[in-house]
Order: sequence, then structure tokens, then C-alpha cells
Amino acid sequence: MSTVIERLLMVATLVAFPVAVAAEVSMEPVPPTPVAAKPEAGQKLYRTHCIQCHGPSGAGDGPAADRVYPRPRDFTLALFKIRSTPSGQVPTDHDLFRVISEGLPGTTMPAWKKVLSEEERWQLVHHIKTFDTMGVFADEPAKERIVIGQPPQVTAELVEKGRGIYEAKKCWQCHGRMGRGDGPSAEGMKDDWGHPIRPVNLTKSWRFRGGDRLEDIFRTFTTGLTGTPMPSFADTLPEAADRWALAAFVKSLSRPQRTSQVLRAQRHVGEIPDQPDDPLWEQVEFVDFPLAGQIILEPRWFTPAHDVITARAFYNDRETALLVEWDDGSHDDGGNGPSPLDRVTVQFPLEDPAALDGEKPYFVLGDPKHGVELWEWSGDGRLERRHAHGAERMEPVAVGSLRAQGRYRDGQYRVIFRRSLTGEKGEAGFAPGRFTPMAFHLRDGRHGEEGLKMALSAWSDLLLIPETPWTVHIVPVLLALLTLAGELWLVRRMRRSAPLSV
Amino acid sequence: MVRWTFALALGLWLAVFATLRLFIIPPAPVSVLTIYMTLVTVAILLFVMANEARWQGFLAPPRAVFAGRVSRPVQVTVLAGLPILVGFVAHLRLTPTWDAPFEPRVVHPQPPSSFTIQGRRIELAALTNPLRSDPAALDQRIAEGKTIYYRNCFFCHGDALAGDGPFAQVFRPLPANFRDVGTISMLQESFVFWRVATGGPGLPKGATPWHSAMPVWQQFLAEEEIWKAILFIYAGSGSTPRTWEEGTADVNRH
Repeated sequence: MSTVIERLLMVATLVAFPVAVAAEVSMEPVPPTPVAAKPEAGQKLYRTHCIQCHGPSGAGDGPAADRVYPRPRDFTLALFKIRSTPSGQVPTDHDLFRVISEGLPGTTMPAWKKVLSEEERWQLVHHIKTFDTMGVFADEPAKERIVIGQPPQVTAELVEKGRGIYEAKKCWQCHGRMGRGDGPSAEGMKDDWGHPIRPVNLTKSWRFRGGDRLEDIFRTFTTGLTGTPMPSFADTLPEAADRWALAAFVKSLSRPQRTSQVLRAQRHVGEIPDQPDDPLWEQVEFVDFPLAGQIILEPRWFTPAHDVITARAFYNDRETALLVEWDDGSHDDGGNGPSPLDRVTVQFPLEDPAALDGEKPYFVLGDPKHGVELWEWSGDGRLERRHAHGAERMEPVAVGSLRAQGRYRDGQYRVIFRRSLTGEKGEAGFAPGRFTPMAFHLRDGRHGEEGLKMALSAWSDLLLIPETPWTVHIVPVLLALLTLAGELWLVRRMRRSAPLSV
Repeated sequence: MVRWTFALALGLWLAVFATLRLFIIPPAPVSVLTIYMTLVTVAILLFVMANEARWQGFLAPPRAVFAGRVSRPVQVTVLAGLPILVGFVAHLRLTPTWDAPFEPRVVHPQPPSSFTIQGRRIELAALTNPLRSDPAALDQRIAEGKTIYYRNCFFCHGDALAGDGPFAQVFRPLPANFRDVGTISMLQESFVFWRVATGGPGLPKGATPWHSAMPVWQQFLAEEEIWKAILFIYAGSGSTPRTWEEGTADVNRH
């Protein structure tokens, strides 16, 4: 009897299991490709627009290839990251079309819809498939793709559920506790070509290769990113609802960038917080300053690790404090053998901006005529100060009243620089109401950045907001009183000349 | 109709103000807005005063308020509201906004008559692109220029030469968009050569050389390489250099 039941159960399981698998990720047929191939047109377009990075034979070895990071795609192996097809399959033509049209954020692949027509982009889809030396596109074309459907309404509960899945499915092992790509397994990863690769920083959604809409994030962990260590979670997270929750959580980790030309420092009564994690810092306006590779002076650096640094500032009667923060998945504090140290530099003009007669020092380390002052903090906690009149003329100077306090936690550095308002002898002080030019340099040791191999910003301005002058409060009150007096005078006059008997 | 003159005048004034304030994008500066609103106020007043009956109709409501011929709540609202409004507007106008100071900048500065490149003095007036003298080799030179461009320039000036490369958004001024008719197509090749060879630091003071991220390309590229890159940015963006002589521009091809 029991064996019959066992057998029945077994059969039931065997029957039910494939059904369950089929039900996990719903599939739909791939829509037809709307434009037929015109090989000559495709080749001409490719040679005009793509060859510089992807190379004449599609192997990702064009003239610009060794100066961009991540490296351009090698089409010969038919491995593509952004797909709506199950793991291990080639992408659909629509997938390729989308990548060509929208570009790949966080890489040098631009959105070609800005310059190429739909017809031209479809021709490029057909052309890049001709580079496939494995014949995969011909032998095993994509027939089905996953159904993404409508994203759910994002609620706090959904995000919380997603947080639980992030913990349970160990996403943090690579992407880190706070999602900054600093998990314990993040080190030493390689892609299928043997190039080093790092887990994406989930707090920078503007760099998500496949886009940062909820549907895009959902697609990425449903299908995985071919050629990278990012697997498909279609089997481990069979419920679409779970994947939507995870997508909502991942999306919630990023905030929009807030850029500005001016960093405003509010006046603070009392002591400025010493610790980078003091909650008081959260109450201050922050500004994101975008960074580019230093490609102006030799040695040029085309592949910077960092793309943004965030700053906040405070001041009181005696000193100015500047808090800078940036994400770095690898902590290089001198304990990692040959890796250079992670470093941040803040740059100000050496002279009083008012004395510069509208001129500024050259934004990269100043120039022989107008020097700059550099505050440099390294991952080992060391603080240095330098004066520079261009890259060739740099000299260390005493730290003076400058202090720095930094920490690294969960893939993020936070460093406070504090200095007396007046500054040292021979350098400009900070004065309320004055716009002081300010620029940043960042170096990631693990990425081989040191010296001029760095990311840099343009000049922005630091402004200590002065106390609001008393006239701002008094003058409106006086004007209001004056108006009231005028009114009363009018009322009296009119009532006398035109009595109520009318 | 005359009865409603005051309400109509006030309504018109508010409508114009709201339109100027909300529907002009980017927002007009406060100074411009003030000039417009002053003109609008004068125009409305002139219209109202042009006709005696209309003028009396206009004055009637304020008169009624001041003479006490309206209900007490209305009178109190107007008499208290007006000073509060005046004080509020004064406060708005007096509070500093602390926007970045305006820094004027000459986009296409006057080039010098001569400059030094790799130790050699070059007269700008007589300078032409030497690579255009051999039309048979032009396609080859453009192709070489393309390689130079994508190893050096596209990081800022973009894959499609539209000034939108991966680093472009970091720098102010923004990198030049070669597809824009206001850039290389209105410049002579000699000017472009000067700008490329001497970069940001070669600009005169009025063009804010301290902000320009344009490298001094003579430190990285030979003279001929600069000319090749210039051939490519014209050919690749489908533009032609400005010339003073007729007929020399069409050696360039798309």
C-alpha cells in the first residue's frame, strides 16, 4: 500500500515538476525583426560608427579599445550581457537594437538613437551578428524571451521584502551590505575573457548597463549577465513577485544625483561635529561633483575608477569643515602590498579670489602665475598639504591648522577636512559671502591610480553663507508699517471728505 | 462693464504676471520680469485713465474700501493684507539667493597673429591645411585622423562628434559639438589648428583659459597628426571649414 502511494507521489512529482518549472518564468515568442538585412549598408554603417572601438573583425579591438573601460564588446563569441532570453542563449534582435539605441550606461557605448535612424540601427543589429565565429546566431537563434510584464506599484513593504531577499539570497556577498560593490567575494573576479571585473555598485543606478527602470533590473537578474559572474536568478527566485521585490529594493538604493556649481556652507553655532558619521552632517545640503579621467597632462588616465564625489560643508566663528564622501569597493589603506593608497585631494586657489582680477588658477593643479593649495588625505589616514603651480612645481608645506578625520565603511569613504577660517600665512582664508573656487581629485589604489592617474572635477565654488543682514528682516517690516500708515491716512481723509451719509 | 474695471485691471495684471513667471522656460531673470511688469502696469493705468468714466469706475472699489462703504471683514482684509503683501515682496527681493557668480566668456576669441608649436613660430594668417593639397590621398588621411580622434578626442567630443563624450558633462565650458553649425563650420582650419595645438592654456584671458579642459595637443601629437584629426572632425561631422576663397571648400567630402 505504502509503495503504491510512494509511486503515485513520485509520478505526481515527476509530472508536476516540469509544469512548475514552466510556470516559474513565463516565456513568449520572440517578435519578428521588423527590418531585413542589407549587408552592404550594415557594413558601411559599422565602418563609420563602430569600428573605432569594436574593431574591423568585431573582436573588440579597435584603435580606442585599450583606452576605454570596460573594454568594448568582442562580438566573435556571441556573448552578450543584456538579454531578454534565458541564461546561455543569444539575445534577440530587439535586445541588440535596444543596446545600440540606448547605449550602455557606465561605459563608453553611447546611445546611437541620437544620430542614427531606426533603419540604420537595425542594419547594425544584422551586421554585428555576422561577426559570430561560433555560428550560434545561425544555429540556435533566440525563439523565446522572458515575459517582463507590468512592474508592480513600489511600496515600503515591497522594498522591505526585497531587502529580505537581498539578504537571504546573499546578493551582498558580491554587491556588499549597502550595495556598494564591496562584498567579501568582490575581489579578484574575472569575466569570460579573463579581464578583471567588479560587481556593480547598486547605489549608482545611472551606471546600470541594462538601464535602471524597474523592468530593466528585473530582467537583469532573471536572465543574468552573460560573460560575467552575475548569474541568472530565474531558478533560485522562481516567483516573479520576489524578483519584482528585489528590483524595487535595488532601485531604492540609489538616489538621484544633485549637482550644483556652488557648495553652500551654513553657519553653525557651536562646535562642528568631529566624526564623519555624526548625524548633524545629514542635515546639511550636499552636492555631487562629477569626475572625469585626467586626460590633459602626461601621464594621461583614460579609465578612472570614480565618477562622482559628494561634498557638504559647515563653518563657525573659527573654522570651516568640509565633508567629502565617495564609494570605493576596495579599501586601499597601505595593507594591500603593492596597491597604491586611495586618496582624495581638495584644491583651492592659493591667492585671495578677490586679488585675482577675475582670473583663476588653471583647474588642473594651477599654473606658474596662479598657484593652488592642495589638501590630500590618504587611505592610511595621513594628511598632507601642498602648494602647486602646475604639475611640475609642487612643494609640500606644513599642515598648519588643517585637520582631517576619515573612515572607510561598507564600501564608502567619508573624510572631514577642517581648517581655521583665516588660513596660514601666504594663503587665502575663507570669508562668509565670498565664492572660493574648489576642485577635487580622487584616486583608487586598487585600480592603479596614483599621481596624475586620477579622476578630477572642474572648478566649482565653496560659499560660506553669511549671516542674513538685519536689513533683510527690518526693511520689509518698515515698508509694511509705512503702507499701513498711508492706508490709515487715506481712510481718515476719505471719511472726512465723504461722510457715510452717501 | 465700467463697474468691473478694477477687477478686470487687477485680473489682467495678475494674468500677465503669471504667464511671464510660469510659462517662460528657462525662467526670465528677475530684472527682466520687473521691466516687463512695469510696462504692463503703465499700459493698464494709461488705458484706464484715458476715459473719465472708466477711471471713476476703477477708483470706485478702492474708494469704497477706504471710505468704509464695504463690510468690515472686507475692509480689514484689504487694509491688513496690503501691508503684509508689501512686506513679503520686499523680504523676497532682499533675501540673497547666493547663485554662482556670472563669469562672462568669449566663445570664439580673437586668435593671435602667430604662435609657437613645438619650438617653431607659425603665422596664422597664411596657414592652410597642408594635407588638402593631395586630394588623392585625402581619404587615407581622414582615416588616419579618425584613429587619432578615437584615441584622443572622443572622450569629450563624443563618438558622433556631438560634444557628448563620456567625460563631457564634467567640464565647463562643455566640449565643442562639431555637428553644431556654430562651431568648426564657421571657423577657418587655421583657427581650429591654433585651438587644438595650444589648447585651453593657449586661450586669451577673456575666454577663461583656466576652465578649459582642452589639452595642449602639441604636447601629444605631431603637427601632421593634428591636421589629420582636423580633416576627420570636418569629414566625420559632415561640415566644411570656412574659407575666404571660393571653391576651396569642396575638396572635403562626407
